[in-house]
Amino acid sequence: MTVAARPLSPLEPGAAPLQAKAKAADAPPVLKFEKVGFAYDGRTIMRDVSFAVGPGELVALLGPSGCGKTTILNMVAGFLRPTDGVAVVDGREIVGPGPDRGVVFQAAALFDWMTVAENIAFSLRCAGARKSERRAVAEEMAALVGLTGFEDAYPYQLSGGMRQRVGLARVLAAKPKVMLMDEPFSALDVQTRESLQEEVLRIRDRTGCTILFVTHAIDEAAFLGDRIFLLNDLKSGAYDTFDVDLPTPRALPENRLHPSFLRLRETIYRRMRH
Amino acid sequence: MSRTDERRERLRYVLVATLSPLAILALWAFAAARGWASPIILPPPSAIWASFLDMATNGYSGISLWTHVGASLARVSVAYVAGAALGVGLGLLRGRSRLIDALLLAPSELLRPIPPLGLIPLFILWFGVGETSKVLLIFLSVLLIMMVNAQAGVRACSLDSLRAAQSMGANRWQVFRFVVLPSALPQIMTGLRVAMGTALTILVASELLGGDRGLGFLILDASSFFRTTYVFAGVAVIGLIGLATDRGLAWAGRRIVHWEGRR
Ligand SMILES: Nc1ncnc2c1ncn2[C@@H]1O[C@H](COP(=O)(O)OP(=O)(O)O)[C@@H](O)[C@H]1O
Ligand SMILES: [Mg+2]
Repeated sequence: MTVAARPLSPLEPGAAPLQAKAKAADAPPVLKFEKVGFAYDGRTIMRDVSFAVGPGELVALLGPSGCGKTTILNMVAGFLRPTDGVAVVDGREIVGPGPDRGVVFQAAALFDWMTVAENIAFSLRCAGARKSERRAVAEEMAALVGLTGFEDAYPYQLSGGMRQRVGLARVLAAKPKVMLMDEPFSALDVQTRESLQEEVLRIRDRTGCTILFVTHAIDEAAFLGDRIFLLNDLKSGAYDTFDVDLPTPRALPENRLHPSFLRLRETIYRRMRH
Repeated sequence: MSRTDERRERLRYVLVATLSPLAILALWAFAAARGWASPIILPPPSAIWASFLDMATNGYSGISLWTHVGASLARVSVAYVAGAALGVGLGLLRGRSRLIDALLLAPSELLRPIPPLGLIPLFILWFGVGETSKVLLIFLSVLLIMMVNAQAGVRACSLDSLRAAQSMGANRWQVFRFVVLPSALPQIMTGLRVAMGTALTILVASELLGGDRGLGFLILDASSFFRTTYVFAGVAVIGLIGLATDRGLAWAGRRIVHWEGRR
């Protein structure tokens, strides 16, 4: 088996775009839920939720507000423990947060007291990396997300879109196996949102990172996802799966007008409204 | 807002902040000159200035004014630095550990509502009327204020930033050092300013305990001899020390917690 279980370093510009679907078929899943249930103080949010996500796959979790998307993400991140069942990453049960699973938060959650470079290199600082190495990685990641020249700015000096780019870069710097994104672009204007969506697809192609992307927007799910889970009834563990079939590289803006995109959007829309 | 607008705004702030005390002084001088109050109760500013110059050149009760000021400043700084350090340490610990919070809850909350002046008789019994009592009284007040502020500061830390740090591999100490502590800093800086004001208040009160030097001693002594102009001069010196330290702390605060209010 030649499939890289570890994501390729984003520092290797030669990394070939990964064929997510081909990989997902013959590789063991990176992320697996087995009959996971969750309750907040006895109030059941979900029951018997099972799914598997292959290496390099981007799965969009789509569902109305309050259906439990964030709760799923928090269990993968290790912030919450399932009340039933098991959540597995890379063959091991998830017992707590760790740098193998990076989180991009809706409100960025940057450290306001650190510069952009310090924010990006935070995981390296925690791992005891030297200052020169941290700086080098920070500059590399800043370039990757289009923030060159802003390394020494503070987060409050940035626009919302740039703040999310920092949030993305600091997760990438930790070289996670799985990236968890919780409606990261929902507060941004359309242009910024679309350019960041394309950025996510490019980064996925370059790094081979597995991504779980939470959204409540059908367009976003269809443009980004290899597969879409429509979470219509988590209390019984039921959800619909949609395969997305769009030309690669997926970051092409024309994909937003592709017949296959429009058809999928309509199908999901009807499914949500039925 | 453009750069020049900002400059003009700043200039106006400084101008008003300077003019307002001058206006009060002018009104005061006017009232004194018209004889609206007896000079024993409200002496004119010029008489107070004269007394100040007298003290500055000849000292007060045989001791140079600067020795009085120095004695007071020494008491305050020792008590303030020690009280702030221990208070911030304990407050941060209480914010992070439920057990330590439980341990310190009753003792500190019982102590906090007691006015420091009410403790003076006890402190005289325990530590005498010397330096120890004076310094400990200020120390205790500063410690309690800083403990409350540091603990509240810890609570200001957002759940998302804690989680972000953990998911980037931070251990307990790193979470504390890189996330909890910086999140608590704005509240700690505010606490430091409040505590400085209180420390100066307690200073004057603590010097009522006795001794032969210090600004509090000077004020009390002058007042018992109805030397009102000297009382005012002493009060003004303490006020100026308070103003200077507060401006200094506010300036330091703006530099240290530069992100505050800009998120
Ligand atoms: N900390 C919490 N305590 C209790 N209930 C919660 C908590 N967080 C979320 N919930 C509830 O769990 C459900 C799912 O929440 P969430 O996963 O945040 O939904 P989504 O992200 O899909 O909008 C909601 O009904 C919400 O009210
Ligand atoms: Mg949510």
